[in-house]
Amino acid sequence: MATSTETRFSLDGFGRVSLAVAFVAIQVLAFAGAYTIGRPTWYAFFMIGSSAVTAYAVHGDSFVVAAATMGSILMVALGLPLFLFVARQQPSIIAEKALNPDVHRMLYLGVYGPLLAAIVSLIFGVPLAHLFAEGFAGQQLVESLVDLPLVVPHSVAGIIILFGFGKGGAFPNVTVLGSMIGMILAMTFVSAPYAVNATREAFEAIDDRLEYASRIHGANRWDTFRRVTAPLAVRGMVTGGVLAWARAVSEFGAVAVVAYSVSFFYPPAGGEVTAQHAPVFVYGTYLQGGLAESGAVAFILLGVSAVIFLIVRYLTSDSTTTGGVV
Amino acid sequence: MSLQADVSATFTADGAESFHVDAAFEVERGESLVILGPSGSGKTLLLETVAGFHPHDGPVTLDGRRVSDKPPEKRDFGFVFQDYALFPHMTVRKNVDFGSRYHDDTRDPEGLLAELGVGDLVDRYPPTLSGGEQQRVALARALAIRPEVMLLDEPLAALDVPTRQSLRDDLADVLADVTAVYVTHNRTTARALADRIAVMNDGGIVQVGTPEEIFQRPESPMVARFTGSNVIDLGDAPSIRSALDISADGVVTIRPEAVAFGDDGDVRATVDRVVREDATSRVTFSVDDVTVEAFAERAPAVGDEVWLTLPEDDVHACRAPASTAP
Repeated sequence: MATSTETRFSLDGFGRVSLAVAFVAIQVLAFAGAYTIGRPTWYAFFMIGSSAVTAYAVHGDSFVVAAATMGSILMVALGLPLFLFVARQQPSIIAEKALNPDVHRMLYLGVYGPLLAAIVSLIFGVPLAHLFAEGFAGQQLVESLVDLPLVVPHSVAGIIILFGFGKGGAFPNVTVLGSMIGMILAMTFVSAPYAVNATREAFEAIDDRLEYASRIHGANRWDTFRRVTAPLAVRGMVTGGVLAWARAVSEFGAVAVVAYSVSFFYPPAGGEVTAQHAPVFVYGTYLQGGLAESGAVAFILLGVSAVIFLIVRYLTSDSTTTGGVV
Repeated sequence: MSLQADVSATFTADGAESFHVDAAFEVERGESLVILGPSGSGKTLLLETVAGFHPHDGPVTLDGRRVSDKPPEKRDFGFVFQDYALFPHMTVRKNVDFGSRYHDDTRDPEGLLAELGVGDLVDRYPPTLSGGEQQRVALARALAIRPEVMLLDEPLAALDVPTRQSLRDDLADVLADVTAVYVTHNRTTARALADRIAVMNDGGIVQVGTPEEIFQRPESPMVARFTGSNVIDLGDAPSIRSALDISADGVVTIRPEAVAFGDDGDVRATVDRVVREDATSRVTFSVDDVTVEAFAERAPAVGDEVWLTLPEDDVHACRAPASTAP
């Protein structure tokens, strides 16, 4: 898609950053003001109006102003609940939950379980993504199967897993219901498409001639994958892994059906403990303790997820993966 | 080391008709064979097929040793790609040294790069180099493994004119000592680098010969047109037919540099168009229903009436009818 970079006045990198910082600062102040006087809706109008004015001031183009206005309406729909969620938390409840061992176990399981699911998704998804990128007979059928979890309701996915791998299923000696294996299976079922598709895009973006160059100068297919293809696709693999991890973190339906609570090895306790996956735990807290308690747990979970997400984004950014040359 | 190839392969792309390459050629030890043809004639596919990048029928042999049943890494070729195909995540030194772990007798990367005039770039990454620098590095990577045969796919096509001329001179020196197959659509490059030329069209080779034979005695109107000769259908040019004293209709060719014009000559002509080139002008004349091109240091004016001289020794009959021209 063609892009227009023409603005009403010239903005260098410093100018763009300054403008962005000023815009965010004004938004924070406006939200704080609106929230303080008990009129958060006013902030929604302010955000839409300020986006339109900023777009007009920078571009002076009705198309950009229209796009910014429509986009800001969506941002309000997404952002306003999030702002209010953060603003309405009670620090005392957050502190209490942050010291609760049940929450610690939930957080550990909420990071660790999805991590295993993401690793499983990548171990088996990367080879499949490579095949997709190269193309093969019957590919569309296999692609449809991989993408199926994206359209299946996730409680249905849980039922499918129980039929496939539960009692009387494909592996009679494996316990799926209420086990860690079941939880990883449920998470992998719903998150693998993200790992496969992101990695596939990374493979497809690699020029075939780089692999040809590797082969003709002596490397066999394994070495070509190890020395050329994989390093060039690593950012796509990590992105796929992060997406799969994030999808598994947020999975509720399939996990609630297959593994409502699981036993697992918990290092701080030096042994097995029982806990629930984070979304299930938050839902349980909501049913038992109400909105305030579940909000505090959700706030902690959101914070941990955001920190992990930012760390991974930093580790996979251009400057940290290639020295900024690719 | 001599190379013989007699390969056929079919290529299909989504939504496009399949393209068939069926070509045979032979390169003697130390010889440079240039495969010359228009865009879309299958030159690159032929070279890639010989290299083993695509499945094919028919043998490829090196000194009688069949290599067509081997993967690319076992065929002992070096390959230089049009768009360089350097590994963007490796330094220049690592790119050139890529094949050293697969070959016993390789050349020192730094010495080779210095020979090619890019010795100061060893620690740079390919995306930071100019096109000419990248192609010199790509050439070094191919030469480093001391291949039996060098395959070069339009290595000058993506370069600007001064860089192209400079690298072409260096290539002439490099190719003087190696067996090479060089693909190009540029007849100037072909003439400068070839010991022999194979003209390719529509997936097949239509004429093979020395540059002199190809340029002076094209066997078909397609070869004549593509190599820059005048193609004259005598049925449309009775005055030329009578000047040449040829009774039958047919197609003849003559190089533009062999056509002279002035105040007297064999055939009356009108100047149609004058295009200024580097040191000369390319002048197009109309004679009866055909056009004839010539070069002139002092160009006439459009509309001038002149006399053309077509030396009989420089006029050659074509085998195929003019309608087969592209």
